[in-house]
Amino acid sequence: MKRMSKKECVAMLLAGGQGSRLGSLTRNIAKPAVSFGGKYRIIDFSLSNCVNSGIDTVGVLTQYKPFVLNSYIGLGAAWDLDNAQGGVHILPPYMSEEGGEWYKGTANAIYQNIDFINNYNPDYVLIISGDHIYRMDYSKMLDFHREKKADVTISVMPVPWEEASRFGIISTDLEGRIKRFTEKPAEPDSNLASMGIYIFSWPLLRTALIQDEKDDTSDNDFGKNVIPMLLEEEKRMFAYQFEGYWKDVGTIDSYYEANMDLLLPHPEFDFFDDSRRIFSNSDFYPPHYIGLKAEICNSMISNGCVIEGEVINSILAPGVFVGEGSKIEHSILLPDAKVAKDCHLRKCIVGEQASIEDYTVIGMDEARLDQQEITVIEGKSMVPEEGCLEGEKGILQDSIA
Amino acid sequence: MVNKTIGMITGNFRCDALQTLSQTRSIAAVPFGGRYRLLDFQLSNMVNSGLRTVGIITPQQSRAILDQLGAGKSWFLDRKSGGLFILPGSHYGLHTRNNKFPLKDMANNIEFLTRDFAENVIISTSNIIANLDYKPILINHAKEQADVTLLYLENKLEKEEEPRQLFILSEDKWVTGLEEGMAKGWQKTKYFANTLIIKRQLLIDILKGYEHIENLDLMDVVKENCKNLRVLSYPIHGYFGRVFSLQSYFQHSINLLNLSVQQELFREDNKIHTKIKDNPPTKYGEQAKVKNSLVSSGCNLQGEVNGSIIFRGVQVEPGAIVRNSIIMHKSKIKKGVVLENVILDKYVEVRANTVIKGEDNDPIIIRKNHVV
Repeated sequence: MKRMSKKECVAMLLAGGQGSRLGSLTRNIAKPAVSFGGKYRIIDFSLSNCVNSGIDTVGVLTQYKPFVLNSYIGLGAAWDLDNAQGGVHILPPYMSEEGGEWYKGTANAIYQNIDFINNYNPDYVLIISGDHIYRMDYSKMLDFHREKKADVTISVMPVPWEEASRFGIISTDLEGRIKRFTEKPAEPDSNLASMGIYIFSWPLLRTALIQDEKDDTSDNDFGKNVIPMLLEEEKRMFAYQFEGYWKDVGTIDSYYEANMDLLLPHPEFDFFDDSRRIFSNSDFYPPHYIGLKAEICNSMISNGCVIEGEVINSILAPGVFVGEGSKIEHSILLPDAKVAKDCHLRKCIVGEQASIEDYTVIGMDEARLDQQEITVIEGKSMVPEEGCLEGEKGILQDSIA
Repeated sequence: MVNKTIGMITGNFRCDALQTLSQTRSIAAVPFGGRYRLLDFQLSNMVNSGLRTVGIITPQQSRAILDQLGAGKSWFLDRKSGGLFILPGSHYGLHTRNNKFPLKDMANNIEFLTRDFAENVIISTSNIIANLDYKPILINHAKEQADVTLLYLENKLEKEEEPRQLFILSEDKWVTGLEEGMAKGWQKTKYFANTLIIKRQLLIDILKGYEHIENLDLMDVVKENCKNLRVLSYPIHGYFGRVFSLQSYFQHSINLLNLSVQQELFREDNKIHTKIKDNPPTKYGEQAKVKNSLVSSGCNLQGEVNGSIIFRGVQVEPGAIVRNSIIMHKSKIKKGVVLENVILDKYVEVRANTVIKGEDNDPIIIRKNHVV
C-alpha cells in the first residue's frame, strides 16, 4: 500500500464492545449500531462529529457481531467519509505470521493497528467511542491540546457528585493539568468525569502502547492502564472541559432516558441545529402516513411509518406500523417494528422488525404503573395475539415465540 | 436484456398550466409527494429495472433539476461505466404543440446514443407518476423483434387526464397508426403513455434522416413510419398519473393519501429514490392534531393538519389549521392561520392569523419564498 499523505489528526473509534448492559438490544448487533432517536444509529454521533470537526480519516475498531455495523458504515458515504485520501476504515482483529488474537482491551485494539496509523503519519490521534450521544467540535479540543503543548488531553465534564463514583474521575490543578485519575472512586475528590475522549500526540502514544503490551499484568485498557502509567511518568496531561449535552447510552435506563430527553419541549440535544448536522445512513423510505383515526401527541415519527392508532410521548423509527385501536405511550419503537390492532404498549422498547400481534398489552399492570420498569422486546421476535408482558428487561426471541 | 438498454428522460418541458409551480423550474423538477420531484419516478423506474445508463435532457431553467440530480448518487448512477448523463436541451420559443420528444433535443446529444453499445433505448417524459418495471416489457420487445414498443393505457380516462391524447390504432398488438385528438366522451380506447422503447440504431438513423426538418417530434416520425416498422403496443396496468395542469398535480398529490395508492407507488421492493437530505424525524407537539396526511421528515407540527401533503422541514405553529393542502419544504405557518385547498411552494411564510381558502378543485398557489 502506498504511503498516504500526512494527516494532522487521525480518529480511532472504539466500536468493538458487546454492550452487554443493553441486554437484548445488543443480542444480535454491536452497541454502536443500535437505533437511536428515530432514524439514527448510535455511531452516527461520533462519525458526524468527526466530519463536522474536519477529521476525514477514521479507523473503526470492530469485533462483536460486526455485520450490521459494517454494512451500515459501508464506504462511509453517508458521512462524506468516502475519501480517497483517508476516509473511514473498518478495522477488525486479524491474523499475522505470529498468529492473531482478539482485541484484548481498548489500548490493545489501537496497538494492533499501529501500522494503520503510521500509514498516515499523524501528529495526533483522537480516541473516541461509538456509544455516546453528543455534539462536539474535536478541533477545539485539538487547539487546546496544542496550546497547552500537551502529551495527552482528556475531555471531561462535571457530573452530579452523587453519581461521580460511576465514572473515571479526574482532578486537576488550576491550570487544568491532570493530577489524579481514578476509575470509579468510592470517595471522589472531584466531580470532573472522563468522557472517554482522548487526544494523544502520536509518537508518545505509540511508545506507550508498545510498553503497555509488554506488561503481561496489564489489561491493555486506556482508563485502567495506559492513562495511569503516563500519569506516573509525569507526562503533560490536561483536562479539556466540555460544555453541552453528553450522554453515555450504555444501559437500558440511560438509553431510554436519552431518547426521552429528545421529547422535552426544549431538548438539550437539538437535532434541528442545521449548523452541525448529524448524518445517518438511513434506508430509503417514503414520507410517513398518519391515518384518519390516528392521534399523535408529543412524539417523533420517522419516514416510512404508517400510523392508524394513538401515539403519545414516543419515538418511532423508520418503517414502524401502528394498527387501528392501538395505543403507544412512553415507548421507543425501533426500525420496522409492527404493532397490530388494539394493542396497548407503555414504557416499552420494541426491537427492530419485532412484531406484536393483535390485543397485546405490555407494561400496563396497575400495581406497577408508576414504577420505572421498561419492557424490552428483542428484535425480530414475535409477541403472539393477546400477549401480556410486564417490565421484563429483555424479552428474548426464543422465550415467547 | 437489461444491460443492453439505456434510458433517456426528456425534462425539457414546461407547462404554463402549472402556474407558478413551473415558473422557475421544469415539470421534471416540480416537488411531489412530500420528498420527491416528478423526475424521480421515471428515473427510479429505469434504475430499478436494471438500467445503468440514463440521460436526462435538461431544460433552459436547469438549476432545480441539476441540484436534484448531482452526480446521480441517489439513484446509484455515479458510475465508471455508464451512469448519469446530463444532456442540454435546446431553447424553444413559443410552444403551440404539445411536444413530447423533440428530435432536435436528441440530435443535439446524438453522441450519447452513438457512443453506447446498447441495443435499445427507453424514452420517457418526466411528468409521470407510476412505479413501473420495464424488465418484462424489454423481454417482450426482444421476443417480438419489435423496432419500437409503445406503452399504452386503456379504458377509463380519468378527469385528471390530459384532454389531448395520442391514440393508438392497432391490429392485435401491432400498431397501425397514431392519431392525436381530443378524448371525447372518455370512451374505451388505447392511448399512448408517454413512454416508448426504440432500437438505438433506428433512433440514430431517424435523427440523421430528419436532421434538416425543424420542430419535428419523434412521435411524428413513428406515426409516419408505422407501416414500415414493427411497432408494438404494450399495456400498462396499475396506478399511472401524468401531471400536465395544476388540477392534475393537486389531484395526484391528494391521491397519495389513499393507502393502496401509497403501497403501489412506494413499493418496498421497487423504491422510488430521491436526493437524500438527512433530516431528523418529524416532531409532533402536545397540541398537534394530525390526521389523514402524508408527512415528510424534519417537520415541527404543533397545529391541526388534515388531508394534506407536508414536505420536509415544514413548521406549523399551535392553533394553525391546514386542510386539504400541499405545503412544500421549509414553509412556516404561524399561529391562528387557516389554509384550505392551498399549495405553498418552498420557503413560504404565512403570517399569524392569515386565512387563505381555495376552491375544492382549484387550489390557490403561493409562490416560492413569499411572505403572506
